[in-house]
Amino acid sequence: MTGLADLLLSPMVHRLLPGRLLKPWLRLNANRARQTPLAAYLRALEPLLGMAVARAPMMALDLEMTGLDPRRDQLLSIGLVPIEAGELVLAGARQVLVRIDAGVGHSATLHGIVDSELAQAMTQSQAMDWLLTQTRGRLLVAHNAPLDLSFIRRRMQLDHGLGLTLPAVDTLRLERRRLLRQAQDLTQGSLRLGACRGRYGLPGYAGHHALGDALACGELLLAQLSAMGDGLTVAELLRLSS
Amino acid sequence: METGKMDATELQPVLEFLGRQVPFDALSREALALCCRSLVIGYYAKASGYVAMDARRPRLHLVRSGAFEVRTPEGELIDRLGEGDCFGFSSMLSGEEIVNRVAILEDGLVYHLDADTFDALRRQSREFDRFFNRMFAQRLRNQGRYRAKDLATSRICALMTATPMSIDGQASVTAAAQLMQQHRISSLLVTDGQALSGILTDRDLRNRVLAAGLDGGVAVHRVMTPRPVSLQANASVFEAMQLMSEHNIHHLPLLEQGRPVGIVTSTDLLRRQGCQPLLLIGEIERQTALPGLVQVSKQLPLLLQNLIGADTRAEEVGRILTSVTDALTRRLLLLNQALLGEPPMAYCWLAFGSQGRQDQAACSDQDNGLLLAEEPDAEALGYFSALSRAVCEGLSLCGFPLCPGNIMAQNPDWCLSLTRWQQQFAQWVATPEPRALLHASIFFDMRSVFGPASLFAALQDKVLADTRKNALFLAALAGNALQTSAPLGFFRTWVLERDGREIKGIDLKHRGNALINDIARVYALAAGIKEANTAQRIRAVMALGELNRQDALNLADAQEFIAHRRLANQGAQFTAGQPMSNYLRPADVSSLVRHQLRDAFRVVHEAQDGLRMTFLRRF
Repeated sequence: MTGLADLLLSPMVHRLLPGRLLKPWLRLNANRARQTPLAAYLRALEPLLGMAVARAPMMALDLEMTGLDPRRDQLLSIGLVPIEAGELVLAGARQVLVRIDAGVGHSATLHGIVDSELAQAMTQSQAMDWLLTQTRGRLLVAHNAPLDLSFIRRRMQLDHGLGLTLPAVDTLRLERRRLLRQAQDLTQGSLRLGACRGRYGLPGYAGHHALGDALACGELLLAQLSAMGDGLTVAELLRLSS
Repeated sequence: METGKMDATELQPVLEFLGRQVPFDALSREALALCCRSLVIGYYAKASGYVAMDARRPRLHLVRSGAFEVRTPEGELIDRLGEGDCFGFSSMLSGEEIVNRVAILEDGLVYHLDADTFDALRRQSREFDRFFNRMFAQRLRNQGRYRAKDLATSRICALMTATPMSIDGQASVTAAAQLMQQHRISSLLVTDGQALSGILTDRDLRNRVLAAGLDGGVAVHRVMTPRPVSLQANASVFEAMQLMSEHNIHHLPLLEQGRPVGIVTSTDLLRRQGCQPLLLIGEIERQTALPGLVQVSKQLPLLLQNLIGADTRAEEVGRILTSVTDALTRRLLLLNQALLGEPPMAYCWLAFGSQGRQDQAACSDQDNGLLLAEEPDAEALGYFSALSRAVCEGLSLCGFPLCPGNIMAQNPDWCLSLTRWQQQFAQWVATPEPRALLHASIFFDMRSVFGPASLFAALQDKVLADTRKNALFLAALAGNALQTSAPLGFFRTWVLERDGREIKGIDLKHRGNALINDIARVYALAAGIKEANTAQRIRAVMALGELNRQDALNLADAQEFIAHRRLANQGAQFTAGQPMSNYLRPADVSSLVRHQLRDAFRVVHEAQDGLRMTFLRRF
């Protein structure tokens, strides 16, 4: 038994066996997280696992950061678009800007955010609690999810002393799996969001806005799901995208 | 602190797309942002076949990517849609059930807008609202294109409420209102014995009882609409639609042998909407100036082709086209009256020839005249001259060429008082000089398109009194009708004349339908029949026993068959991009059609023999 408990303490173990290990992992870590928004988030996730994907509430997510390293870089903005019964509901779409400690410097040009706009924004910790509250009861969906999840995990570690890689659907992984199964070559850039969308005939969007990218990712998921057919459960979808 | 309230500018890709699409581009920034925030985005895969639509939750569908097709339940194509096109608005605008199906041709992304937001946007932007109403009409028109056959030939009795509720004229208004409440109906037929004496509607109760301060004890016959407009139960759906739009009424009693057997309401007809001719007439009636009418008239050739394409009976095609011409004429008269002021006296606009017979086809000439109630003074003459010129000119611009023989209302010779018209007809009848009569025969195919029915009746009754059993006149008319004969038949791919000549082609109008028109005219004038339409004349003559049943039915069939071939021929000419004519080359039709045409010509020939026997044997 000690072996399993140890195993479950590993922050990413659920990705190996989402069908079997995810449930106990969620319970264990919900208890460890105590009264934090993370605990509530983990508890609300459990009932989703057996649900058909077509009915499961999900949340397409995109984070904009100052860089790619969670230990050095910080959150700039969060974009969220809810998915209800297989449709993206724009009425629930949200974007927040996040305040950072130092000036934005170089990457502000890239993201189109200037320091003055950030003065009104949330702190890094507030933003993360807000994210967990907004997405409670919803399965996260992101393109290249491990990157976004690593920033969330880092923030959890700093704020609550519990660094977890949250379960999430990764549209990049789903696409990679599909292309490999069709024995297609994975060329440079072929798994970028825009390239993936293009293969489903989805329109090109100008990137690098958290909300726009969340929307683009959500649309890609709908297209991917329609190609995967009915009857898939959330747990199965998580396994396919890990 | 802003806690995640979305600013629409952040949904830039969606907003940009909406802002590029008609009619969303007409929305204000705020309305566009509202629209954007209300969208729900779905993805449709070709593999699922059709777009699933929830009747309880109608939504506007805006195609973002992919391809879709709208089809009727019968599978007929109504529209094909790509990026920026919309569907699903028809049921939202009409409140009717969703009946059409939307097939997914290519996987695609679709933006959905809920009914509440759609309505809010329509209220905020007239242009947005107008766009969808126009699209709705357009789609109905396309639907009508495929349904033309169905509509033109189906009978109004199929749509009526049979055994309508009725009440005796002596009953009280309260009793009537209770009956209407009990049966949840908006009108009652009022009877006197078994005959229809009036109609009582919700509106009558409001306007003539409540607003007039009457109490419920008042007798129904005092507040009803007496002698309501009604129709024979075997009339076509189209005739009912036309009658109701002409008189602006919403309830139409249907009769059989003078007794009411049913009622149709505008709601019954709306359910069957999608009739292109009716929409065309509706558009005509909405126009407020000549350029609009000219524009609308450009749809006439298309209407004709649609009717031909739908294999509509030739008799119905003629009737439908003529009803459009009638509507155009009436509209032109009203518009010009508005410019010229009230007419100095009552008048009727008379249609002669093909418009009179209700068998107009492609590029029919104008044949018309004015019937004035009194002898006009110089001022009145000036008024009617200006009016008729404007209307004839307008009709010409709308595609009806001026009459080469100058039989037009703008010609002072054909703008006459009742007395002068009566004298003119009397002269043709009394001294039937064959040559003059040849030209005058089209005047005997007359119909009033506009003006008081009593005025026209005064002319027609007098004319028919003159012609009825007038042997000398009828003999002259019959003699003229026998001047031309139908061909004998065909030989290989040649037309075989009765004298053995072989010619390349035949004019189906002058060597076919016109001969039958001539024959029917003689019989109708001999029997004093008011109808001007050839098929109706033949039926009426048969009913009176003036023509034996078999001959009459054969002649009516021959008329329909030849006219139908004429239309089919014109349809083929139109499709081939050739000018339309009545000229048929036997080489262009199958041997079966040639056989049938030969039979039809034989019927015409026999009918001419019959005409000679009946009207010329004493001379």
